[in-house]
Amino acid sequence: MGKFAPWVGYLIALLGLPQLFDSVLAITIFNQMAIAIVFALSYNMLLGQGGMLSFGHAVYFGLGGFMAVHALIMIEFETVYFSITLIPLVGGLIGLIAAIFVGSFSTHKAGTVFAMISLGIGELVAASSLIFVSFFGGEAGVSADRTFGPPFFGIEFFQDVEIYYLSAGWVFASTVFMYLFTQTPAGRMANAVRENPERAEFIGYSARRVRFISFCSSGFFAGVAGGLFALNYEFITEENLNAVTSGRVLLMAYIGGLGYFIGPIIGAVVLTLMNSLLSNYTELWMLYLGIMFVLTVLFLPRGFAGFIMMHQTAWLRGRLSSLVLPYLITGIPAIMFGGSILAAIEMLHHGGESFRFLFVTLDSGNALHWFALTSVGAASHFACRRSLGQLTSAWEEANQSEDTTERGPS
Amino acid sequence: MSILSLHNVSKSFGKTEIIRGVNLDIQAGERHAIIGPNGAGKSTLFHLISGKYQPSSGRITFRDQEIQNHPPYEIARLGLARSFQVTNIFPRLSVFENVRCGMLWKQGLGYSFRHLLGRQTELNARAMHLLEEISLSDRADFPAGELAYAQQRALELGVAIASGADLIMLDEPVAGMSLSEAEAAVSLIRKITEGKTLVMVEHDMNIVFDVADRISVLVYGEIIASDSPQAIRANPKVQEAYLGEAILTDAGGDDA
Repeated sequence: MGKFAPWVGYLIALLGLPQLFDSVLAITIFNQMAIAIVFALSYNMLLGQGGMLSFGHAVYFGLGGFMAVHALIMIEFETVYFSITLIPLVGGLIGLIAAIFVGSFSTHKAGTVFAMISLGIGELVAASSLIFVSFFGGEAGVSADRTFGPPFFGIEFFQDVEIYYLSAGWVFASTVFMYLFTQTPAGRMANAVRENPERAEFIGYSARRVRFISFCSSGFFAGVAGGLFALNYEFITEENLNAVTSGRVLLMAYIGGLGYFIGPIIGAVVLTLMNSLLSNYTELWMLYLGIMFVLTVLFLPRGFAGFIMMHQTAWLRGRLSSLVLPYLITGIPAIMFGGSILAAIEMLHHGGESFRFLFVTLDSGNALHWFALTSVGAASHFACRRSLGQLTSAWEEANQSEDTTERGPS
Repeated sequence: MSILSLHNVSKSFGKTEIIRGVNLDIQAGERHAIIGPNGAGKSTLFHLISGKYQPSSGRITFRDQEIQNHPPYEIARLGLARSFQVTNIFPRLSVFENVRCGMLWKQGLGYSFRHLLGRQTELNARAMHLLEEISLSDRADFPAGELAYAQQRALELGVAIASGADLIMLDEPVAGMSLSEAEAAVSLIRKITEGKTLVMVEHDMNIVFDVADRISVLVYGEIIASDSPQAIRANPKVQEAYLGEAILTDAGGDDA
């Protein structure tokens, strides 16, 4: 039964979140998370599992989304008759078709060649979306109304929370299928081809065919995410298939952790939260996102999931609690140091006017504020450096194997 | 009956002719060694047979089927497996996954995304059994890239034979090993190629004369002799071209 425990927890979290937080803002954020999770997981099928770095994954998300909005319009005008609960499937099929077409020539090689083709296709489709106005609606995009479809067991999807539960169902199913894919021969060979395409060929597998299968599956789930987007927002624009969206999904998967199935889920949740909450407090949140990405690449190359998994050994040895205090001792000054850097950036940004930063009002025209900030920054930096040693030794002690702890220093 | 035949196979890179009209017949069930000085083209010959390179001219037949213009994966599916001189495994996959990947195609699983590997009880048992044969069962869950060198070489062999191929080609299987490691590797090679055809490139003459039923000598892209170990040892042409000095000096080294 232990095998299913994470899945039960995941399902409970998906279904329970709107019970805990039921504000309009919270439901909006949960809907964004649902879309982001499927999109980021689909991206990781390429990069994390298949070793294909794509700069144009928004193409499949966007095309799926556009077709999904058109499908909603068709439902509205009764050209077709089916429940809007199936809209993500429409998106998925369009994503799949687009991926079959592009993958037929782009999966020949991984590495730089693949990355450049993905960039080119991304630009090409984004440019086309402004040219073919009848389908893409130009800069205004296309919009629809989801409430005209046949009711689904009496639900007409007037409210966002109803869409959330529908999305949650799709998210859960998509996650399960994407996980199961990693456990199939095609999924395992995707890892093998990522590691060593040459050897894969000598054990009977065409590296290109293996990549193609991953690419198509990935395109399908990106399209499903696009369909969820269409259902949630009831409109879609060129922005949703251009390089910015492609870049964002890369960030999500990377920050979350490419090497772990759960990584992109964490990344999707963290980035959605940053996007929605941080943007309320500061105009500079994109800058902070960039800084976070660089810091992750430098210091946590395996992402947040990798950071969590680092603690597995200590946890298995029952010594995780011994790390709490050392973490606090180094962590508090580290946070204060980071905070003073952020405050300095905000002060520069606000040039001349005063603004609220956490619990204080700062004014960049006030020399005393600069002095205080510099002092806090320097002091916390010093404290952080000084306390790093105790964290390192606590870490080593917690990860030591059983037999050597006997003669450890007392 | 010959299982593998090369007819007048040549290979040039630019103006340089590396393989110059090689004719070779490998009989089913024999253990055939290809020897020759450094740069003679032994590894190139392996790459030509296994499909990594395509010959500039000539024909290669495996079980009466022409394979010279087929990609490596098609040749592998026919039952021709090979190992590499430089360890060529899947470093971040577990040791177990490495050998299981080698078994997937033969198992008929192909590119399937409808089968779950965890449910393939018989396949998984066979993969574990193979790990026991190559003495790596206690390392099953290790990332392959973290194994010691000799263990990686054993895994290299394991991946090659996992498919159950009839013809196994080993490119310097014991290069870089200590004496005791090499001895263990040789007895492993004997065991796992039981009832199969073996073609190997090897620099260590003791091993070659110990293992091989027949030896071909490749010098500057041409086979100058192909005979039993005793006849090769006595062959004056071979002695002149290769054996006399190579045995005395260096048994390891590199190959073009």
